[in-house]
Amino acid sequence: MQRPVSSFSLSPGVKVKLASAGFRVTADLLHLSPPQLSREAGLSQQEALEVLQAVRSDGGGGASMSALELLQKEGELKSIVTFSSHLDAALGGGVPVGKSTEICGTPGVGKTQLCLQLVVDVQVPQCFGGVEGQAIYIDTEGSFLLQRVVDVAAAAVRHCSLLVEDEEQRVAMTTFTVETILSNIFLVRCHDYVELLAELHLLPDFLTGHPKARLLVIDSVALPFRRFEDLSQRTRVLYGLAQQLAAIATRHLVAVVLTNQMTTRLRGNQSQLVPALGESWGHAPTIRLLLQWSGSQRLATVFKSPSHADATIQYQITSDGFRDSDQSACSQPGTSC
Amino acid sequence: MVLLRDGMCPGLDEGLVRGLRAADIKTVEDLVSSDMEELAQRCSVSYKALFAIRRVLLAQHAAFPVSGADLYEELLSSTAILSTGNPSLDKLLDSGLYTGEITELSGGPGSGKSQVCFGVAVHISHQLKQNVIYVDTTGGLTAGRLLQMLQAETSNAEEQMEALQRIRVFRLFDVFSLLDCLYGLCGGGLQRASVGGGSVKAVIVDSVSAVIAPLLGGKQNEGMSLMSQVAGVLKTMAKDFNVAALVTNHVTRSGGGGGGGAPALGAAWSHIPRTRVLLEKGGDVRRPGLRSATLIKSSRRPLLIKEEFDLKWWSRSKEEGGGAAAAASGKRKRDETDS
Repeated sequence: MQRPVSSFSLSPGVKVKLASAGFRVTADLLHLSPPQLSREAGLSQQEALEVLQAVRSDGGGGASMSALELLQKEGELKSIVTFSSHLDAALGGGVPVGKSTEICGTPGVGKTQLCLQLVVDVQVPQCFGGVEGQAIYIDTEGSFLLQRVVDVAAAAVRHCSLLVEDEEQRVAMTTFTVETILSNIFLVRCHDYVELLAELHLLPDFLTGHPKARLLVIDSVALPFRRFEDLSQRTRVLYGLAQQLAAIATRHLVAVVLTNQMTTRLRGNQSQLVPALGESWGHAPTIRLLLQWSGSQRLATVFKSPSHADATIQYQITSDGFRDSDQSACSQPGTSC
Repeated sequence: MVLLRDGMCPGLDEGLVRGLRAADIKTVEDLVSSDMEELAQRCSVSYKALFAIRRVLLAQHAAFPVSGADLYEELLSSTAILSTGNPSLDKLLDSGLYTGEITELSGGPGSGKSQVCFGVAVHISHQLKQNVIYVDTTGGLTAGRLLQMLQAETSNAEEQMEALQRIRVFRLFDVFSLLDCLYGLCGGGLQRASVGGGSVKAVIVDSVSAVIAPLLGGKQNEGMSLMSQVAGVLKTMAKDFNVAALVTNHVTRSGGGGGGGAPALGAAWSHIPRTRVLLEKGGDVRRPGLRSATLIKSSRRPLLIKEEFDLKWWSRSKEEGGGAAAAASGKRKRDETDS
């Protein structure tokens, strides 16, 4: 089957010139040399060379793998524990690396707290069952509280030091301190959506330079997009953002964690709290986690996940961070490492 | 249209191509639609030669009619109906996915589109022993979930591994990579993926709207063209290689009404899939896995028939298959550093 030239990733101007010179399908171009093409289609030498390279590299169809290889790869990736055993169980071991997870919730329910907890948790050394990676935190709301990170980090260090059993873990503890935890968090403050989009374009380079980064937090993705005048443009930008994040998560093996605000939707006479940014954005994250109040209890619900059934668990926010709410579960001796 | 080249047909030599080009005749289209007598005078070639060339070119580029009887015979010998593995969905789709056609699943977030795709992939690779191509554009494919579904089908680890090997995964996140991939599959990729027994019988694209939607709307009009390219290559692939194409689509909420919304990508796309199914979450709190599927376009069955199915169906025999899963979660325990 003949592939049309217009299906290649070329600039529209080049495509128009090629079409008006009569080049419609790849077979028309394959026998030409760059100078010939540039003469016939009125392109610059550079453009002609790019066109021919694009056309000739066709046919590979991109890298593929069998589901078995994918399964092995997934087995090598660990999830980031949340320090709440119930939530870990609901998510199948924690927040998965290489996928995107969205945390939705009303103000004050603990979205940012969970993010701060994850930023610390991602650095738990491997001998304690952690991921031992670095974290990138994109803050759009200005809610990143360093003092709180220090508290959570100190609690995590204290917890791990209680679990030390062998020499390897003792050595690991010498580098797992509050200072190193802080030095492995990269904070980016974005004030509006332009800064956010620009940062995401630069991020692949940053991630190549920091191969140990395993967590990308965007807190929140909603705020920069909520005061958008052109709604159809907003949808388009958000679709693009979603694809970018999916690509980053898969290619750089990073857990992408987003937070989202809630909004009210009217249905007849009833109002209903739903995640913001509209229905179409709901497809973007692979996993959706809803944090909500039920009386005085905080509940977390997994309500979209390709690999887990929907589940609801309780949690609480203590001075040490994000924890199980059930007292008996908290006092259980930490599982051996 | 195709550019005129020497050697395309007898009589069309280099000198003539140059002469035609001087008369501003570059493509087959130009030659066929121009006035032969005038052209013969301008290029100083014989009218007869030019007329012969025209006839050969027309014959080369024309489609030819096939009789209905032949077509029916071909249909009977080449079309396969692939069961989705789920009885309710098979009922809705008139016993399954037809090869040579595009079937679309649309639905809101968490409505089970990906789960159905996983289930179909697993069923075809395990039960029917055919190869499947799975194009994942959202990063939502989890091999662990495929394994879970396989464990519900068989407890034989070797069969599970074989089935997983028959599912070929492409992960790409923009429309140009998707086009590269699809054209690559048409140009030999499908045959290459078929080695090792069984042929590729299904191509699943989950989701097609994730890569196309960012291009639509606004001032850019390239999006429409790219969408029709994707549609064209999917259709050609389905027909020429006899594969069943299964694609997923988002929904958009249409104007405040209480309905479940309409599939995204607009009217132009709505002509592409032969069969469209809308998936919705059931309202029952006690059975969170319950989904309803509504047929919204079909050339075989009456429209708007509704079937209910449970996502749990794919992991139904949890007791026997759950042994390995429990072992896996036991291993997870080790990783937890909970206080």
